[in-house]
Amino acid sequence: MSDSVQPALVSTGPRQETLTFELAGDVYGVPLRRVREILRPPPVTEVPRSPPGIVGVVSVRGRITTVVDPRRKLGLITGGATPRSRILLVEGHGEIVGLWVDAVLKVHRLAEREIELASVLGGAVAEHIRGIGRPARERNEAPQVIILLDLDALLPR
Amino acid sequence: MTFRPPDAPDPRAREEFLSEAQEILETVSKDLLLLDQSLKRSEPDLDLLNDVFRGVHTLKGLAAMFGFQQVGRLAHDVENLLDDLRLGRTPLTLEVLDLCFEAVDLLSRILAPERLDEITSGDVEAFHERLAERARPERLDASELEMVELDPSVLAVLTEFEEKRVRSAISRGSDLAWLKTRMDLGSIDGSLEDLKRRTRGIAEILTYLPAAGATDPNAIELEILLATRLTREQLRGSLDVEDADLTLVARRPTLRPGATARPASPATSAASPLTQPPPAVVPPAPRTPAPIATPPPGGPAHVAPPETPSLTQHVQLREPVAPIHADALPELDMARRAAPELPPPRSGAQTVRVDIRKLDDLMNVVAELAVVRSDLRRLGESLAATGNTRQTATEIARLARAFERRLLALQSGILEVRMVPLRQVFDKLARVVRQIARDHGKEVRLVMTGAETEVDKLIIEELTDPLLHIVRNAIDHGVESPEARRAAGKPLAATIALNAFQKGRHVIVEVDDDGAGMDPEALARAAIDRGFIDASEGDALTTRDALQLIFMPGFTTRTSVGVLSGRGVGLDVVKTNLGRVGGLVDVHSELGVGSRFSLTLPVTLAIVPSLNVSVAGRPFVIPLSVVHEAFALEASAIRVVDGREVVSLRDATLPILSLERHFGLARLPDARSPAPARRYVLVASLGAQRLGLVVDQLHGQQDVIVRPLGPSLRGVRGFAGATDLGEQRVGLVLDVGVLLDEHFSSSAVRDRPGALDVARDRQSGEPSRERTGGAVS
Repeated sequence: MSDSVQPALVSTGPRQETLTFELAGDVYGVPLRRVREILRPPPVTEVPRSPPGIVGVVSVRGRITTVVDPRRKLGLITGGATPRSRILLVEGHGEIVGLWVDAVLKVHRLAEREIELASVLGGAVAEHIRGIGRPARERNEAPQVIILLDLDALLPR
Repeated sequence: MTFRPPDAPDPRAREEFLSEAQEILETVSKDLLLLDQSLKRSEPDLDLLNDVFRGVHTLKGLAAMFGFQQVGRLAHDVENLLDDLRLGRTPLTLEVLDLCFEAVDLLSRILAPERLDEITSGDVEAFHERLAERARPERLDASELEMVELDPSVLAVLTEFEEKRVRSAISRGSDLAWLKTRMDLGSIDGSLEDLKRRTRGIAEILTYLPAAGATDPNAIELEILLATRLTREQLRGSLDVEDADLTLVARRPTLRPGATARPASPATSAASPLTQPPPAVVPPAPRTPAPIATPPPGGPAHVAPPETPSLTQHVQLREPVAPIHADALPELDMARRAAPELPPPRSGAQTVRVDIRKLDDLMNVVAELAVVRSDLRRLGESLAATGNTRQTATEIARLARAFERRLLALQSGILEVRMVPLRQVFDKLARVVRQIARDHGKEVRLVMTGAETEVDKLIIEELTDPLLHIVRNAIDHGVESPEARRAAGKPLAATIALNAFQKGRHVIVEVDDDGAGMDPEALARAAIDRGFIDASEGDALTTRDALQLIFMPGFTTRTSVGVLSGRGVGLDVVKTNLGRVGGLVDVHSELGVGSRFSLTLPVTLAIVPSLNVSVAGRPFVIPLSVVHEAFALEASAIRVVDGREVVSLRDATLPILSLERHFGLARLPDARSPAPARRYVLVASLGAQRLGLVVDQLHGQQDVIVRPLGPSLRGVRGFAGATDLGEQRVGLVLDVGVLLDEHFSSSAVRDRPGALDVARDRQSGEPSRERTGGAVS
């Protein structure tokens, strides 16, 4: 594998713009077109009796927006807010929802062949994982694995 | 008038059409109701029939113009029916009136904005057939006209409709009288309205004729033909007119044939062939469903052409007499067309009709805000130039105050625009009451008070269905059969009273009936039969709790003796709908005496004066309208009665509810929320229930704009929404109705899944009492 370094510029064909972010130390990605805005987290107001996975609500310019913590759904360790924490406003089932992330990384333009289907993981894969992204490396870069999330499965209905 | 191709209606025009059509239908249905009442008193008010006719006629014109063929056709056929009624070709009976009501219903259904594209052609066809089946027109004979000394020239200019009214007045034994009056052209509308009002109940206005030889170009002299049962002196006194202006039309001593000028009906038709088509012109129904492509206002695709638009007739009759006044005629017609009051804004749509003055006021505020803005800009520039901070600070403070005042004015102005009278719901109910009562063979009198009470448009929308439910329920199951009422010594006609009034920031709507009332024991038995509660719980139910059972989803007493029975839709809908707007429903009932449903609703949802509190370090907001007082809670004052905490407040027991425990709020680890030494109780009440809500801290009052929680939190009960408290903090707005509900519903009912939480589980798919962990922030 180490010899098969592919220059990124050689790839052709359609590319998916993927916004990557960090959750509990791992790199995740969602389609950039679904992301409306990236916010520094305002104080989140917890909503008692809300379904698991929902952290609470925030006000985005007066509009009350539900915030979900994907770490809960993904079974990851949850931690408090850090200076790098962000909320991604994404379009979910007819609603703009805030997605709590530990840090926003960068936008990758992934070619078809840089995406592996979730089935490569073998066995029953959680429905909210759409695939694995393996972006072509620049020189001296460590190989990267991006867990591509299926927002529709992840977000509350 | 421009015509749009029917296949491409401009959406805005379409919206306008819908709005106007709804309005017409509401007016028409109100008139029909009044007509119905007058018919039941055996004194049908033909003015109303005429109003209805005009309404339907206008609707037909609009429909044709906007390409709503189905509506046009239906309106067309109904118009024909109404025309026959007006002209006496078809006798006015309750059955025929039912057809009219049905037509209005059908039209409303077709015109309901959400159904516009879904064609209910089956229903419409069936209705067309029924219309066609009704008795064919018959002609009245004209003998009545021979009984009075009316000048043939007068009879010659009467329209067919007017002539019919003259005849029927004579046959009822009324006397005819001429009233001469002079009206200023500038204020003729008002004067005619005024005259109509003065004659109401005293005399019927049959026709207006302009008097010949007018001298003043700015005034018009009218001769008005009245029918009355009063003597001339009584009439003169009641109308307060000059002796010389009132002339009684003499009755002829006997009925004589021929000899004297006897215009009767042949003369009439001969004199005005245009206004009276021979009956043969009326084509036999059912008519071919030809689409109405032409607009009626001029030459309609209308079977009995120009006799109806009274405008045309007036023009015809006037020209030979006093052509100078021809320009006053449209107004004259308008005056008759105008309803005595402004039609209420239509319901069932997302639009509000606004008095232009209210908008002007809003515009003024906006203009003032623009001044504040330019002041701000100027200030910014001068600050950049001089850097005089103290002066600037003063100026900023001034501008902030000015800005705040305008903002408040703007808020309250917009709130006002959203307010509509309850009348529009009440009128709808009146129609339903009539229909249901007839269907059930029961006699029901509907009494309304407080219809002018204003409520936010949004709340009106949510109120309509619950009220329909309750009223239907009252007639269906509350009101006894006539036999049972007689046996019980009650008046045969049952009374349903709708009362609305404002109480603080709430509006209360009550629906009272004097029917059989509900039997708590029968309700409890039914709940046991249906497995909602078990027998021991049933025994323990208080009367109040038993009555609350009727609001449970799926509850019905169908299997038990007829106290209440389900028609598939339960009263739980009432509760759900009202809950959505922060309202509450309560019921009282006395067996044999009747029931009362009280609906408590907030006046508006838009801006709510509220109290900011915190519980376990989290901000909550509670509408001031439901908080009556607050006091400090001493832990030692709490008593536990039957597992529930209570305190004493001025010698009365007040149940209290700890919000921290109720919502399962974990104390946050940080210093923001140490367990407080002292807590507070907010005394909240809605309807008849009172509950003390225990909170940690009170932070003062604030006017908040309540925003809904997103769809992902739809299933969460207990919060009416959330609000931005400033500085990006969000406070949840407590839904006190739900809290009261959860606390007061007897534990037996409350803890059973599938009872009170059914609606919520269905929506969220989550367990009822899920809790989340600590907040991230």
